[in-house]
Parts: sequence; structure tokens; C-alpha cells
Amino acid sequence: MPSVFSSALPGLTGLSAPRWRLRLRHPLTLGLFSVALLWLIWQIAAGSGWIQPLFLPAPQAVLAKLALAAGQGFMDATLWQHLAASLSRIGLALLAAVAVGVPLGLAMGVSPVLRGLLDPLIEGYRPVPPLAYLPLIVIWCGIGELSKVLLIFLAMLAPIVLSATHGVTRVSPSRLRAAQSLGASRRQLLWRVVLPTALPDILTGLRIGLGAGWSTLVAAELVAATRGLGFMVQSAAQFLVTDMVLAGIVVIGGIAFVLELGLRALQQRLCPWHGQQD
Amino acid sequence: MDDDALRAWSVSVRYPGQPEPALADVSLSIGPQALTVALGPSGCGKTTLLNVLAGFVPPSQGRVTLAGAPITGPGADRAVVFQHDALLPWLDVRDNVAFALELQGVGRRERHARAEALLAEVGLAHAARQPVWTLSGGMRQRVGIARALASPSRALLMDEPFGALDAFTREQMQTLLLEVWRHSGRRIFLITHDIEEALFLATELVLMSPGPGRIVERIEPGFSRRWLAGEPVRALKSDPAFIALREHLLDTLARHRQANDKETA
Repeated sequence: MPSVFSSALPGLTGLSAPRWRLRLRHPLTLGLFSVALLWLIWQIAAGSGWIQPLFLPAPQAVLAKLALAAGQGFMDATLWQHLAASLSRIGLALLAAVAVGVPLGLAMGVSPVLRGLLDPLIEGYRPVPPLAYLPLIVIWCGIGELSKVLLIFLAMLAPIVLSATHGVTRVSPSRLRAAQSLGASRRQLLWRVVLPTALPDILTGLRIGLGAGWSTLVAAELVAATRGLGFMVQSAAQFLVTDMVLAGIVVIGGIAFVLELGLRALQQRLCPWHGQQD
Repeated sequence: MDDDALRAWSVSVRYPGQPEPALADVSLSIGPQALTVALGPSGCGKTTLLNVLAGFVPPSQGRVTLAGAPITGPGADRAVVFQHDALLPWLDVRDNVAFALELQGVGRRERHARAEALLAEVGLAHAARQPVWTLSGGMRQRVGIARALASPSRALLMDEPFGALDAFTREQMQTLLLEVWRHSGRRIFLITHDIEEALFLATELVLMSPGPGRIVERIEPGFSRRWLAGEPVRALKSDPAFIALREHLLDTLARHRQANDKETA
């Protein structure tokens, strides 16, 4: 009979399982399995002729289109040029969101007054879809690169600010008081106690923010773009080139997933204590 | 009167919105060689008293002084050891201890050397480079004590430091604390709700009662000095005098609880 723990926390049952079962339950194995299953279903659905290629092209057609885009290009730019354009927008927006969001979040965590003043504004704009305020950004900032980066920046900012604020509120009073009693100044408390304590949450905010940034990319590249993965997908959709639409989605998903894995690894390296008994 | 003492002078603390004070008219003097223990049930104000001595909570009435100088906030002359969450998990054991020295501006090489010496003193020389989050509860408390000793403190204030430990580890930590107390020569103020711990460690024991928090009895058990003179722990804790004092304290606490219950009824 399964215990309460085995049903609530399946990972615990692995403690006494044989090695082959542990390997099967490894997150990498499970992840590869789910991707392979999706691929198989896609292959069967497309290959059986149940769904027309216009609506769902076969995986190999998408891969062929991807190879074509990488070599000969699509819409006057190669896949790599589209990728570079999107990555530079995401990168710039992320840098700006970290530079603004982390200090702002820390300040809001430390100061209840600042939190009271800014929290309604951030929580107010956070759920608004970027497409809703995109016209306003175009009116204010034009159709240049600034509008695209600003839109992605705004999508990233809220989760980064809120995570940093939450990280600060997790600092235990005992830790702060112990440091104070060792002679830590206010500045030392902030840099040596508060910031490292908030770091796991800040990195989680970066992960969430990056995800929000990627999901805003297509909207951002609606604004008179000539390059970018979002632009590539939209252009392909206008001409009903479904295999290119899917190729773009696969690339965006793949790149976003690799960056997410990188951030997870960074979080694990910088904050190995996070989630452990501390 | 001891001019070098850490003293609370008729201290009262009333938290906003609370009907009665958390502490009422508490006076206490902790001399340079003292190991003073505040014993009492939950809500008797012992944590508030420690917070006042540490400078975390200002008294509503009365004052606190160290060697005659008024205490207006936390400071490096009074290091606090907590039960939980006070170490820095992103630093290893040695750097946690060295953190206290770094705050004083001690150079890297010297602070590492001094931290390692202090870790040896608390029996953790072998764990200097371990992450603190991999340590057991007892080992963490040793790190906390070593870190407090690394500060230029004249007093160690300990907030139920062994409350989360099992009975065996707790007894080990009690004897370690007495060794540290003897070697460092620092005064210690410790709060606990464990009667045996209080009796064993204290040179002066203050018994506190809630409603409002106050000191209801002061005794000088003297078992810590007997242990330092070589008597075994178990022999001391089964000594008829130890047992008689334990029963007396239990009886006193029960009487005060009954009186409080009658008042609130």
C-alpha cells in the first residue's frame, strides 16, 4: 500500500528503488521521454494524413525548413541573423530589467514606505498584456529598436522586482540581529546579509522574467521589425508558411529552454543552500 | 555594586496594542565573570529581556547600561547567539566565524587564522571548510558560539541556544559552553525554559513568571563551578541538592501559574 509520502512526494519512493528505476526516474530521462512522445504523436498525426500539412506539417518538413532558413535565409535574413536580432533585444532588455529591477526590489523590500508607494503600480501593470500597451509605447517611443526593447523590458521588470522584494522579506530577523550584534553597519547588513539571502529569489525572478520576455518577443517584433524570430514567425504566418511558423516556435522554445537551464545551473552554483535546511 | 556589569535598571517594556507589559520593573546585574540564566515558561518576558540587553528593543521605562555606559542599540560589545537561522549559509564554517572579524576590519589572513583557532576551541577544526548548511544542529550552534567569541564582545547573550537539540547533544553543548565561558572569561546571559539546563549552567539563576513578565526569584546554584572543578555531569544532575532545587523551581513556577490563572479568571 503506498504511503502518504509516496503519493504526495513520489521522489521519496526512489530512495529504496533499484538503480535502473532510479535512472528511469531521472529528470533528464523523463524530459527526453516527454519530448520523444510529443515527436511521435506529431509524426503520427502529420504522417497519417488526418491533418493537412497546411495545419500541421510533418516534423521532417519543419526541420527541412529550418535548415533552409539557416542556409539560404527567410525574409531577407538567415536564421542566425534573426536569432541574433532577437537575442540582442532579449539581452538588452534583461540587462536593463536587472539593473533597474533588482535595486528597486531590494529597496522595496527594505522600505515599507517605498513598497506601499510602488507595489500598486507594479501589481497594476503586471497583469496587463504587453499587446495592450504596445500602441502607447509606439506613440511615445516610435517604431525603432527602443520600443521593442522597452516592451520586453516591461514584461521582465515586474517579476524581477517582485522576486527581489520577496527575497528581502525572507531574511530572518535572527540573522539580521545576529549580524547587528557582531557590529554590522546598515550598509554591511544590506550587502553581506540581505542581498545574499535574497539571491535565490532574485535568480528565480530572472528565470520568470526571461520567460515573460520570450513570450513578449513576438509582440515586440510586430513593431516594424525586419529581423528577429518573432518577425520571422509573423511573416511566415501571413504567408501561411506553417512549417516556418513551427520552425520559429521550435527555435524560440529551444533557446528559451537552454537559457532557463543555464539560469537553473547558475542558481544551483551560486545558492547551493537554497531549499536545503538553513 | 559592580561598575563593569551589564545592568538592567527597573526595566519595563510594553509592546503597542498589548494590554499588559511584556516586562515589568526588572532589574538585573551581570558581572564580568557571571553566567546568568533566565528561566521561565513561554510568555514570561525572557526573550524581551534579552532583546533589551542586546539593544534590539528599547525599554519603555528604565535603562540598560554596560560598564556604566547607556545601551541605545545593538553593538559588537554584546554578541547574540540565536537558536535558529543566524548563520550565513552562503559562507563556509570558517568564513562564518571570520565574518565577525571582517566586520571589525581584520585582514584576511589574520581573520582566517583566528577563526580556525576558535573552531578548534569548539571542536570543529575538521569542519572549517564545510558549508554550514551541511552541519548538524549541534555543530551549527558551535559555529554560532565561535562566531560570537570572534567578536570583540564583552558579553554573550544566548537566546535558547540549545532548545532545538536532542538531549545528548544538548548536554555536550552545555559542557562546551562552560569550557568556553572559563577560557574566554566573558559574561554570559542565557535564556531557557529547561530547568535542568538552567540549574546546571547558572552562576545566578533568575526565575521569571508571566503576566506581566517579571523576576520572581533569584538563586545561585553553583553546579557549573563544581563541574569546572572536576565533578561529573551525571553526578551533579543526580545530586540531591540539584534535584531539590529543580523541584523547588517547578513548585514555584506552578504556584505562579495558578496565581496568574486566578487573576485572569
